[in-house]
Amino acid sequence: MVTINIDGKPVEVLEDTTILKAAEKAGVWIPTMCHSEYFEPYGVCRLCSVEVVRGKRSRIVTACNFPVRGGMNVLTNSERVKWLRKVIMELTLSRWPNVRVVREMAERLGVAEPRFKSLERDEAENACILCGMCVNMCNEVVKAGVLGFAHTGIKREVVLPFDERSDQCIVCGSCAHVCPTGHIKMILEDYRGKRSEFTLGPKTPIYVPTLQAVPRVPVIDTESCIHFQTDGCETCAKACEPNAIDFGMKDEIVDIEVGQVLLATGFDLFDAGAMAQYGYGRLDNVYSSLEFESILNSTGPTGGKIVMKNGKEPRAVGIIHCIGSRDTNHHPYCSRVCCMYALKFAHLVKDRTSAAIYQFYIDMRAFGKGYEEFYNRLLDEGITMIRGKAAEVVEGKWSGEGEPSLKIRCEDTLIGKFREIPVDMVVLCNAIEPRTDSDVIRRLFSVSKSPDGFFLERHPKLDPTSTATDGVFIAGCAQGPKDIPDTVAQASSAAARILSLISKGEVEIEPVRAMVQEEYCSGCKICNNLCPYGAIEFLQESKVSHVNEALCKGCGTCVAACPSSAMTGHGFTDAQILAELDGLMV
Amino acid sequence: MAYRTYLMVCAGTGCVANQSMKVKDKLDAEVKKRGLDQEVSVVTTGCNGFCAVGPLMVVQPDGIFYQLLKETDIPYIVEEHLIKGRPVKELMYTPPKEKVPIPKMSDIPFFADQTLIVLRNRGLINPESIEEYIARGGYEGLAKVLTTMTPDDVIREIKASGLRGRGGGGFPTGIKWETCKHAPGDKRYVICNADEGDPGAFMDRSTIESDPHAVLEGMLIGAYAIGSSEGFVYIRNEYPIALERLQTAITQAREYGVLGKNVFDKGFDFDVKIVRGAGAFVCGESTALMASIEGRPGEPRAKYVHTVERGLWDKPTCLNNVETWANVPQIIVRGASWFTGIGTGDVTSDPWGGSKGTKVFSLSGKVNNTGLIEVPMGITLRKIIYDIGGGIRDGKKFKAVQTGGPSGGFIPEALLDLPVDYEELTKVGSMMGSGGMVIADEDNCMVDMAKYFLSFTQTESCGKCVPCREGTKRMLDILERITVGEGTEEDLALLEELSNMVVESSLCALGGSAPNPVLTTLKYFREEYEAHVRDKKCPGHSCRQLITYNIDSDICVQKGHGCHVCAKNCPDGAIVGESKQVHAIDVMKCGKCGICYDVCKFDAIYIE
Repeated sequence: MVTINIDGKPVEVLEDTTILKAAEKAGVWIPTMCHSEYFEPYGVCRLCSVEVVRGKRSRIVTACNFPVRGGMNVLTNSERVKWLRKVIMELTLSRWPNVRVVREMAERLGVAEPRFKSLERDEAENACILCGMCVNMCNEVVKAGVLGFAHTGIKREVVLPFDERSDQCIVCGSCAHVCPTGHIKMILEDYRGKRSEFTLGPKTPIYVPTLQAVPRVPVIDTESCIHFQTDGCETCAKACEPNAIDFGMKDEIVDIEVGQVLLATGFDLFDAGAMAQYGYGRLDNVYSSLEFESILNSTGPTGGKIVMKNGKEPRAVGIIHCIGSRDTNHHPYCSRVCCMYALKFAHLVKDRTSAAIYQFYIDMRAFGKGYEEFYNRLLDEGITMIRGKAAEVVEGKWSGEGEPSLKIRCEDTLIGKFREIPVDMVVLCNAIEPRTDSDVIRRLFSVSKSPDGFFLERHPKLDPTSTATDGVFIAGCAQGPKDIPDTVAQASSAAARILSLISKGEVEIEPVRAMVQEEYCSGCKICNNLCPYGAIEFLQESKVSHVNEALCKGCGTCVAACPSSAMTGHGFTDAQILAELDGLMV
Repeated sequence: MAYRTYLMVCAGTGCVANQSMKVKDKLDAEVKKRGLDQEVSVVTTGCNGFCAVGPLMVVQPDGIFYQLLKETDIPYIVEEHLIKGRPVKELMYTPPKEKVPIPKMSDIPFFADQTLIVLRNRGLINPESIEEYIARGGYEGLAKVLTTMTPDDVIREIKASGLRGRGGGGFPTGIKWETCKHAPGDKRYVICNADEGDPGAFMDRSTIESDPHAVLEGMLIGAYAIGSSEGFVYIRNEYPIALERLQTAITQAREYGVLGKNVFDKGFDFDVKIVRGAGAFVCGESTALMASIEGRPGEPRAKYVHTVERGLWDKPTCLNNVETWANVPQIIVRGASWFTGIGTGDVTSDPWGGSKGTKVFSLSGKVNNTGLIEVPMGITLRKIIYDIGGGIRDGKKFKAVQTGGPSGGFIPEALLDLPVDYEELTKVGSMMGSGGMVIADEDNCMVDMAKYFLSFTQTESCGKCVPCREGTKRMLDILERITVGEGTEEDLALLEELSNMVVESSLCALGGSAPNPVLTTLKYFREEYEAHVRDKKCPGHSCRQLITYNIDSDICVQKGHGCHVCAKNCPDGAIVGESKQVHAIDVMKCGKCGICYDVCKFDAIYIE
């Protein structure tokens, strides 16, 4: 640590810190126009010029990059410094009289009217003040190396290589972010953003997935993170005090030995894009149920405000039921939860906005505890229920005036008429469907599926939580569409089943089971894939098959199939049966 | 093989441009034709420096100097000089105002008053032959260093010699080497700055063209002293001959084992790469030059951390100019005390206490003997201009001399007895620079001169920092206003203020010195500015908008009898008058091109 004097004030700082940082610590303001914490000091605006006095010698240096030495006297406001700043500011102001940051800085430095003839420029046309921030950002931080300067002297300008669009540009937007005048703009061009329930709004590459996420820590999206594209940036690592950011972190596979498994892999939401008539992914302000849920969330992209893309509150909201459910073209089953969450949406929209609400339903299924009462309450709140599945959503004008919005076409079966309802926002109640990877999971655990694709329970009424494979249980929407109370009930039941086995400490198994006579086993593995319970495994060391006695149900499929008769029933070997027969016949 | 006579034909850029290679070919042919090819050898040499009278040739060992040669002169010279032994007087140098030609090169004042260290081999050896360089004592310095001296000995010797950077800054070379040697780092670089960008300056170019091995030897010695194994020569691509000769020299040096791995079997490795510059003036600045070598745009950075500590690729880097490197072998061979015997001041206690050795200048402008000269430090400007330079052309009156290239200041006649010395030149507002010297006579307008040089630095400014980019542009605007008669008194004050601001707050030395021509002309020739501003007149008669051409009617009719030549030549049809009658110029039509002034044989036309 060394002590220096800034305008007579002593400050203690580390040697080699810049005068600018030392001045910041001392609470002395030094003007800058090209400085940023992101990259090394560039030192071109020269506004931060200060006078450094050592003994009788004094010199002008730039505060942003001049390293501090002990006993140094810095004057930030001497007559010489003030004069220099004034002339530099006059030059800058006369070149860019219309740029706001320049005008503000000039005002702050007391430069009213430059003595040079103003080079009038249209701010919109050229507001690049050549501070170099974008260039330094692109080269030093992002390391994309796209932006650079061309030409010399007064003709200097920021350019892309050969003035053409560069393939090297990763469109990270860092240049636009640091540009102090807003001269660099990001233009949305051919935008086909990913539509996920979590990416409704702009998202940084480093984000907390949801505020309910467990554990609630930020993750890095390696696809959009600058570091994973150019090896540069690492700004987050510099800012993270506990040093918690590890770019080398990778997915890993962990082996855990367990006795029982509960499959609660959930569901996928039906992609409403498959039903083009509803305009999902094509028309603005048409949302899936989960997207709308995220809009309603107070930690969501809109902070819980129900607004359209243009930021305005919708005048009417249409909620369309049974998108993909009860539909012979997609899923014949009822997704069970939509009616009730559609009512919840309606309630919240009513609560937060003054929008008119239309529900388009086939049948209302309010069958749970207190559900029918909630439905009745909603009817009292004044939402409009239209019986009839909506036919299509199209663009339309709101009663012939104002901004374009949406129109829902439908047949109101209660009055037997076709109707067109103008709305600003449409919420689709997408079906619940099995996860796309459910077959992979299923095979892994030897679990069957029902015709609708969900995991098959052992018995739909008497044993809805266990499967045909002992020790493998299912719960929630993995088994079939259900709401939260049902899921909780089923999961609790599964947990109780699992705990009862754990507390017993041992498994009772059927006495009838298959057994490998290892001396005869040729290791052909025919039995391995045949076993419906996944009870046979192959021992790599001894090259023979082995029966997991806890899983074997003694069905005998393997015994019948074994070409070398190595597989026999335990206690029922050919020799034993023949011996029994011999005994009987004596 | 030894010959009785050597014909040393200058093949410097100036002479080559004046067809000296044709002269050489003709000589070869003629010598052969006369059957003299066993007795006479024709040699091409580097620049002799006396570019004003090229193509030139020196006949050795007699030392007879021939100038302004043409192909047609060759048979005559061969006949007279080589066969009959009668040197040809008509082709010898005759000083202005004198009748008798000077046959010997060493007697010509241009050469007699010079002291050659850097250019000692010019005109004496073939620059494309390492043998000839070695024959003249070349690589003796390197041998001495590698066999008898430690790196610290070398640095001590260079420090004792008081050698200072010849690129313009005048930083003591020994101190630079010492700091670089002790800077922390595993790798060190040596750079030779041959990016000579000053308009009208050709010192470095000629040095490389006439003696490339001297530069290489200097770099080798420097590399040994600081512990470097890799060097770069940054040379501009517009110097094709220098580039080619340097490349040849490097190849030869590698073949002879003085460059590359294990030099002289002493376990010292050093190799040199040539990097060609694209011709940006600012790349002569050390940090910009290094950026350019690294492949980045040639823009300077703040030098608060010196390049000897963090230079090329952030490694300690020792950069010196061509001339500095070329001085090194001689200092090693002849010793520091010999070197300190030449020059001014005392450098034993303060390395900045004096200027030692010689300095190469390229003399141009309104002087009789333009060319390249090497003079001892401390010589007066008057001696350079009037003795070596042969005085002002056409007997005009001297007005000012600019030293140090486009950013140097103008020195008026009153200060002509100033000794050439780093500190003295800086004191009067100019600088040593890399050695450009432009002489202005009474016909030059100082405002226009300042404008010219500023327009150069303004366009060559890289544009990185505000003061240099915007400031020089505004200064140029003001100067342009003044030269067209639109300047005001306030403009002069503003110009001075801007100049001072640009000097004080620019990022690099380009901006820090660019206003020198303006500041010195404002200081020493303020009356010219005032004439432009107040009286709307240009005393140097060169600012077109401020002058008028007139015809002295008496002379026109009495002496010229109305010859009408001016009227015939006037592109604007501005001259009225019939043949044999008095002529006059229509001021409204006159485009002020000056053709009439030039064509009038009777000096009837005068400028106001």
